[in-house]
Amino acid sequence: MTEAPQKATVVVADDDADIRVLVGIAVRKSGLELVGAAADGNEAWQLVSALKPDLVVTDVSMPGLSGLELCQRIRADGELSGTRVVLLSAAVDEGAHLAGLDAGAIDYLIKPFSPRELAERLVQLTQPTTAEPC
Amino acid sequence: MLIAAVVNRLADPNPSPLLKQSPTTILFGVAIVMVAFNPVSVTSLGAVVAGTIAAILATVLAGVLTAIPTVAKFALLVPAIDLIAIGFLRYGTGETLSIFSSLVILPIIWFAAEEGREHIWFAFIGTAIVLIFPAAAGQSDSSALSLLLRAAFAAAVFTIAAAVINELSRQARLRLSSVRRLAEERRRALESNEARTDQLAASEASLRQAERMFRGVWGAVTQQAVIGTDLTGLIDAWNPGAALMLRIDAAEVEDKRHVDEFHLADELEDRARELRYPAGATVLNPGFSALVEEARLGSAEVREWTYRRADGTELPVELSVTPRLDDDDETVGYLFVAHDRTKAHEVAKLKDDFVGLISHELRTPLSSILGYLELMRDDDDEQLTETQLQYLGVAERNAHRLLTLVGDLLFTAQVESGKFNLETHVQSMSPIVSAAVDSARPAAVRAGVNLIDEIVDGGMVRGDSVRLGQACDNLISNAIKFTPAGGTVTVTLGGEATHVVVSVSDTGMGIAESELDQLFSRFFRASTATRNAVPGVGLGLTITKAIVTAHGGEMSVASEEGAGTNFSMKLPIEQPVRV
Repeated sequence: MTEAPQKATVVVADDDADIRVLVGIAVRKSGLELVGAAADGNEAWQLVSALKPDLVVTDVSMPGLSGLELCQRIRADGELSGTRVVLLSAAVDEGAHLAGLDAGAIDYLIKPFSPRELAERLVQLTQPTTAEPC
Repeated sequence: MLIAAVVNRLADPNPSPLLKQSPTTILFGVAIVMVAFNPVSVTSLGAVVAGTIAAILATVLAGVLTAIPTVAKFALLVPAIDLIAIGFLRYGTGETLSIFSSLVILPIIWFAAEEGREHIWFAFIGTAIVLIFPAAAGQSDSSALSLLLRAAFAAAVFTIAAAVINELSRQARLRLSSVRRLAEERRRALESNEARTDQLAASEASLRQAERMFRGVWGAVTQQAVIGTDLTGLIDAWNPGAALMLRIDAAEVEDKRHVDEFHLADELEDRARELRYPAGATVLNPGFSALVEEARLGSAEVREWTYRRADGTELPVELSVTPRLDDDDETVGYLFVAHDRTKAHEVAKLKDDFVGLISHELRTPLSSILGYLELMRDDDDEQLTETQLQYLGVAERNAHRLLTLVGDLLFTAQVESGKFNLETHVQSMSPIVSAAVDSARPAAVRAGVNLIDEIVDGGMVRGDSVRLGQACDNLISNAIKFTPAGGTVTVTLGGEATHVVVSVSDTGMGIAESELDQLFSRFFRASTATRNAVPGVGLGLTITKAIVTAHGGEMSVASEEGAGTNFSMKLPIEQPVRV
């Protein structure tokens, strides 16, 4: 039996339930597997350290750990080196954008975001690439 | 002794003639008594009697002159008559053998003591007459020559005596007048001294009052820290406000600590670097020097700094530094007035937090709205009908309007707190303007407005393409909104010598002249807008102007009600660096 290629796993974190569902739909559209959904930063960290997903899509402002802090923890954890973070945020200014990238996020999307664009981006991120960026 | 007393008495400027005459009268009387007791000495009774009468006459005259104040010169008649009297007496008591010749010295002294050297000559003449007179009258038993010699010799002696007396009395007079003068000077000096003392007392009183007032004010200022230092920053004045703010008493600080000890070292360093102090150069204490730089150069400076208390806690302050000048306008120290900005900073932070919160809270639901609408539109499983798609479009459009509004509100808040950043690049305005025109076309078509563009590349500007695009979008959408169907909106881009000009003209409803200067204020809506129920909240122009100003440009407007409006943005051309 041929093995189906492993779907990349995704954990979503946002305190707004509707956004979580929206992201879940985008994940499905992109052909990835949603393995966990968290409503606050602490829950998100527990899920991420337990499940070690390929991608984390997280809001920046959440109760408990903020999205930036979550990102920094993931970066700092050796066992999570394969996990990449996409930040969603309502903050529009350059400073926030840079802070997000500094914290180690691979991408930064501004709310309101287009689900289609998110799906496309997720597909891009999980394409096997010939050269991994250092 | 007696002669000195007599001389002093006669030198008195105002002795009465009678007083001066009294010695002569008394001695003459004694002489007459002596004659009476020794009648043998009388050689001519007639002469003695004549002399006595003359003496009495002189005395009476002296009395009269004393009683009636009169010209001093008349007083000299008295000694003159005395000389005649003595002359007669001498002649009548044996002339050269007379023991009363020496009486002549009394009137001589009177003459000699008068002010003026001419009186010496009067004395001489008088003596000569007295002594020679009898010989001249021919009544003498001696030879003429011996008589003359005797008389001349005696006259000379008496004249010398007179000269001496004259000089002595002159000196006595001088001394007296000098003493009088000194006494007068002393009196005046005393008076002026008193006056000065009074003045001093008055100044002291007003000084004390001023000091009391100052102390009152000093103690009353408890909300601001007022700190005085010398040129090195050593604290010499520390008001109650400072004690309260920095939580340390004056006693522990005055003459003991320097004001820069209460600042953050890195803030002082930063400022020193800003002022371009060469590292480790002539400035002994670069931190303190940076703090007082402006004040040292003579002007007052107001800046934000952070104070650090003894316990380590910090607080933001607004500090005003001024130089302290002495009477010669030399700087002798500095005055620091600090205003606690903790509350203001807290308020500003609250505002920022609030704006951030609002932004988040408004955008998240909009995110859901637009996200799910998009899902509905893109749903491959269930195709929507034309009508449904149309409804969807309306919902999406309005959600986007809300989103734009949120963005505008946020941007306005940032503008107000002076905190929006521009990401600038040197670029041409053409693509920005073209893009704005293109994105406005659908709206123009819907409104039935003709949208024309004339784009000529006028030069490069240094700007944020997103913000500049936003400014163009605002102007164009305004123009379309305010132009009725059938009208025209013209967008031009051109260049002048030093500026690039973007101009948006319309043939719309125009703006009243009186409202033109309020146009760019927040939430202002022109009367033509409200009258014609044009939608909008009044932020677009505020934002556009803020963007243009931040780029160093200018906005201008011209309009005619019912005919049309023109808005122009002028942006400075970035001169390329010639290689």
